[in-house]
Amino acid sequence: MKSIVLLSLLGVTSMFAGVFNYRKLILPIILIGIAAAIGLFVDQWGMNKSFYQMAFFDNYAIAFSCLLLSVSFLIFTLALYHYRKEGDIVTDLYALFIFALTGGLLMTSFSNLVMLFLGIEILSIPLYVLAGSRRADLASNEAALKYFLMGAFATGFLLFGIALVYGASGTFDLAGIAAYVKAGKDIPDFFYVGIVLLIVALLFKVSAAPFHFWAPDVYQGSPVLVTTFMSTVVKIAAFAAFLRLFNYCFTPLASYYEIILTAAAVATLLIGNVTALYQQSVKRMLAYSGISHAGYLLIALVVMGASATSVVFFYSAAYAAASLVAFAVLTAVMENKEGRESFETFKGLAKNNPILALCMSVAMLSLAGIPPLAGFFGKYFLFATAIKDGYLWLVLVAIFNSLISLYYYLRVIINMYSSADDEVPAFTPNYALVLMLLLSLGANLALGFYPDLLMGLLG
Amino acid sequence: MVEYIFYALSVICIACALLVVFSKNPIHSVLYLILAFFAIAGHYVLLNAQFLAVVHIIVYAGAIMVLFLFVIMLLNLNAETEPHKNMLTKIMATVSGGLLLVTLVGSFRAAGQVEMVNLDNSNIGTIENLGKVLFNDFLLPFEISSVLFLSAMIGAVILGKKQLS
Repeated sequence: MKSIVLLSLLGVTSMFAGVFNYRKLILPIILIGIAAAIGLFVDQWGMNKSFYQMAFFDNYAIAFSCLLLSVSFLIFTLALYHYRKEGDIVTDLYALFIFALTGGLLMTSFSNLVMLFLGIEILSIPLYVLAGSRRADLASNEAALKYFLMGAFATGFLLFGIALVYGASGTFDLAGIAAYVKAGKDIPDFFYVGIVLLIVALLFKVSAAPFHFWAPDVYQGSPVLVTTFMSTVVKIAAFAAFLRLFNYCFTPLASYYEIILTAAAVATLLIGNVTALYQQSVKRMLAYSGISHAGYLLIALVVMGASATSVVFFYSAAYAAASLVAFAVLTAVMENKEGRESFETFKGLAKNNPILALCMSVAMLSLAGIPPLAGFFGKYFLFATAIKDGYLWLVLVAIFNSLISLYYYLRVIINMYSSADDEVPAFTPNYALVLMLLLSLGANLALGFYPDLLMGLLG
Repeated sequence: MVEYIFYALSVICIACALLVVFSKNPIHSVLYLILAFFAIAGHYVLLNAQFLAVVHIIVYAGAIMVLFLFVIMLLNLNAETEPHKNMLTKIMATVSGGLLLVTLVGSFRAAGQVEMVNLDNSNIGTIENLGKVLFNDFLLPFEISSVLFLSAMIGAVILGKKQLS
């Protein structure tokens, strides 16, 4: 709770940076603040503190919160590079990023449906604005409007679902709902309708099929830093909330909704991977890759149980570490080539800047799941758990999809290592970009070589 | 007595809702919608939820509908400028709307009779009780929603600020 208060204050500090003229200082302040928030969370490990029966900081909440904070730390380091030439509007954007992050933390730690709703809204509303923050750009405006309209619809589903669940169980409290489900005495039909509506809303937030249509346009239209935030922090927070809610409350009824989640997982995998194959823009390809990774994580949700939490945690950490590198390189490349983002833009990168190309290769291979990188172990643990619980056919579908995904990940690498058609301007090295790449690459390799670092954390 | 008021309000509400859809002039639609909101607020009063009724009128009939009117007037929408929809769209809209109706009716029939819950406290919707619940049980969400409003305000400022180039 202390770190949530700290983050809110940090947002306010950032908001006033433009007024009181400490713009240059604000990013270091934010980075220190986020590091302090991580410290405060780590300090609470194992204490299981509850606040007004509204937020419950068990190890699950703390682990996911720390993951979200670490990812945001890296994103702000990237912001140091990305926004270095922008004007005064940037401090307001930082404030929105921080508020969105606060919402993400609430989504990992809620113990009441009201808090879940507030968390999702606090995460989403700043993002609608952030998506449209490049106001002169038509695509950015389109992204903001699309995201806003679709998101408002999803919120409607969420509220309707919460209302039906409340109507049947008479409580917003997760423990109360869990007790109601466990007692299992004449649960009315509309309770199940409520669960389905909650699934719809959460599938929308994790951009899983058939509610993924907003994702590619929004990801492509938004400024690249916002896209990075959406495809890592938002996705992880939404999955943490999804898993927390369903694991805690609805597991006794799993047989009813399992079929929905399974269908969504298979559809997400197939649609995400097959559509990614014929994309021309790397940014859009990464959006579809994000959709397909949501499919893998949905498999973990189908399997459920205590083992699923650590699998989801590890997988999202591995996915985030690889995505961060990919988006950082994409930012650098796009900036150097005046905003172009097609596969051809990457041609000649290996000759021009071998280090950047190497980083991107590692990220792509990790996303594709090549050993010994983090992405491989994420998939390995996921598939092992699923097979143990008897979902062999689902794992076969997932492996088939991993093979498809190799094509578009390798396409980036092949483009980078082929020669360019035109002369490419040389990169100017930037310490923030280098630091960010080093940290996220380090995370990739560390998780690959010592997966136990995170795997054993949640038991 | 209460029953008669209930039916009167329901008739007004449904009639206004239909008029919202069928009236050609968008301004009339908005005005009928305001009437429908008032009828719904009347239902809230019947349920002894005065606070909800007042907020409903202030927020929906007051703030949101005024916004609606502004937008309609600014865009100068009227019957002539309304884009003409072709026959196929109309048929498809009717079919999909009808299907939704069938689904809804079917699921309500299947759901059977829902037992009414008898509340222990009939004054549950009064402002006094609502305030007590809000500042005791739901204190944390109440405080945290300030972050939500703050970020919405910053967002409005960012989008509305003059572009410096």
